[in-house]
Amino acid sequence: MTPVIEAERLRKVYRSRFGTRRIEALGGIDLSVGPGEVFGLLGPNGAGKTTAVKVLLGLTRPTEGTARLFGTSVADPESRRRVGYLPEGHRFPGYLTARQTLSIFGRMSGMERSVLDTRIPELLDRVRLSDWADVKVKKFSKGMTQRLGLAAALVHDPEVLLLDEPTDGVDPVGRREIRDLLRHEASRGRAILLNSHLLSEIELTCDRVAVLRRGKVAAEGRIADLTAQGSRYRMTASPVDDALLSAFRESGASVERVNGHLVLGTRDLAHVNALVDTLRARGGMLAELSPVRSTLEDVFVDLVRTGEEEERTP
Amino acid sequence: MRAWAASVEEVFREASARWTLLAYFALSSLFILLFALAVNLDIVDGALAGAKLFGRDLDLGGEKIDMDQLVLGFETGFSGFLYMLGTFLALFATAHLVPRLQEKGTIDLYLSRPVGRTKLLLARYSGGLLLAAANLLYLIGSIWLIVFWKTGVAHGRFLLGGAVILFTIACLVAFAFLVGVVTSSTAVSLMVTYAVFFFSALLSAREKIAAAVSSEFSANLVRTLYWIFPKTAELGRATVSLVSGGEAFQRAVGQVDHFAVYASTGLFGLASLGLAAWLFSRKDF
Repeated sequence: MTPVIEAERLRKVYRSRFGTRRIEALGGIDLSVGPGEVFGLLGPNGAGKTTAVKVLLGLTRPTEGTARLFGTSVADPESRRRVGYLPEGHRFPGYLTARQTLSIFGRMSGMERSVLDTRIPELLDRVRLSDWADVKVKKFSKGMTQRLGLAAALVHDPEVLLLDEPTDGVDPVGRREIRDLLRHEASRGRAILLNSHLLSEIELTCDRVAVLRRGKVAAEGRIADLTAQGSRYRMTASPVDDALLSAFRESGASVERVNGHLVLGTRDLAHVNALVDTLRARGGMLAELSPVRSTLEDVFVDLVRTGEEEERTP
Repeated sequence: MRAWAASVEEVFREASARWTLLAYFALSSLFILLFALAVNLDIVDGALAGAKLFGRDLDLGGEKIDMDQLVLGFETGFSGFLYMLGTFLALFATAHLVPRLQEKGTIDLYLSRPVGRTKLLLARYSGGLLLAAANLLYLIGSIWLIVFWKTGVAHGRFLLGGAVILFTIACLVAFAFLVGVVTSSTAVSLMVTYAVFFFSALLSAREKIAAAVSSEFSANLVRTLYWIFPKTAELGRATVSLVSGGEAFQRAVGQVDHFAVYASTGLFGLASLGLAAWLFSRKDF
């Protein structure tokens, strides 16, 4: 599968006006997104997510490394012909109506007016703005502006979508609709790079994610793989006394009592079996043992905290 | 071409929505209407036999005045007024085009389209210039038509004066774009460009200033600045001269090196626009 979005050793250093301060927003990241894939970019504030997207769009020039869209360098404006972008906190000219906005941005993407005449009503209907087609954008609520932004990103039927916080300010029903829309676009082979703080949204929408931390990729992979990492098990057994818990801890496991069961942090499968043996050797009965799947939020928080601890360690 | 047309359309829609266009047309129309209604001329055999201003008879001293000369005199005086008014209004109507484009949350929307940055800036520049030209054409064209309607005299030179005004506007708007790219501020763009307009006019007296300053270095600096900056005073005189034709034109030709004035001002405009485009294309957003 040939990637449609590629970044290699992408580095971006911002310098203050007189060059006295340097901030490394991106520290050499690699990214690759294929057709039909929904890729999530996660990270705390200032992790470099927006900078990465801006470099991919040629809005910001990388200090080092290369970025390509469809194999074309992002420095070439033509690389953006098949790209739809929804920036965070976008501001469409308030004096334009929704229809005029889509017409102007559609033509800027090279579309003919006659094609837009049929495309625009379809799109407005898709984002539930048909009744507002001829109302000036300045009268739109935040959610409506966001939906218009999505329509503007889709107006030229792009093959790649770069979306920065697409559900920001949108109500739960609207979010669901946007999620469905993105999944539909992905099913048509469109590659989507989603940048969001809402981990639940990412978890529901994306196939693969990368977690950025201080400009570097801290983790990358399929959500299922990332959340399956770690060896945490939920054990329900009886009797559970302090002596048993001490024995578990002495073996190196972490033990936590949660609502009548134990959550065990183990090294590997052999370690789990050893804990079961310890239980049985003490006359205990095992009622339930199941792996605990982390949420994306758990993974994210762990990665961010680990990073913070590493920075504190001299 | 489609992207260019879309950009130009947006400039006009913005001007219309922000009342700039409407206010300009309303003020111009009011002026034109007043002029059309206020002046009533009694013309006999191509000469002015009597005139009324706001319904009151004007004393012409019993003489018949040559209509062609009268119209020429009016157009000459009016062209000087239009030079200032047209330039100032055009700058006011276009100085925001770059700062607004560069606003956070807006610039991303434009630059994410497959349009090069230089093309985008030039499309906006040409949109602004078309807007200024439309305003100017309306004002000058209407006055020209009214004069023709009232007097039967038509001087093409009066319309040509508009071309010199537009040339001045093109150079100053280019400079306003440069300041806009650097500062992202409409207010600063306007202030600096107006300052350049007046400073350049002062520099037209460069030899007098050079004679008054104490050192040769300062005198040379004044002369150098004169050739760097646009020749706003000379262009104003050129407008009037072009419209007046005849003696005034000859006098002006004798005083001003027209080629040098147009060439150096044009270079200033081109350099400003080129620098603006270069800086805009290198900017991180």
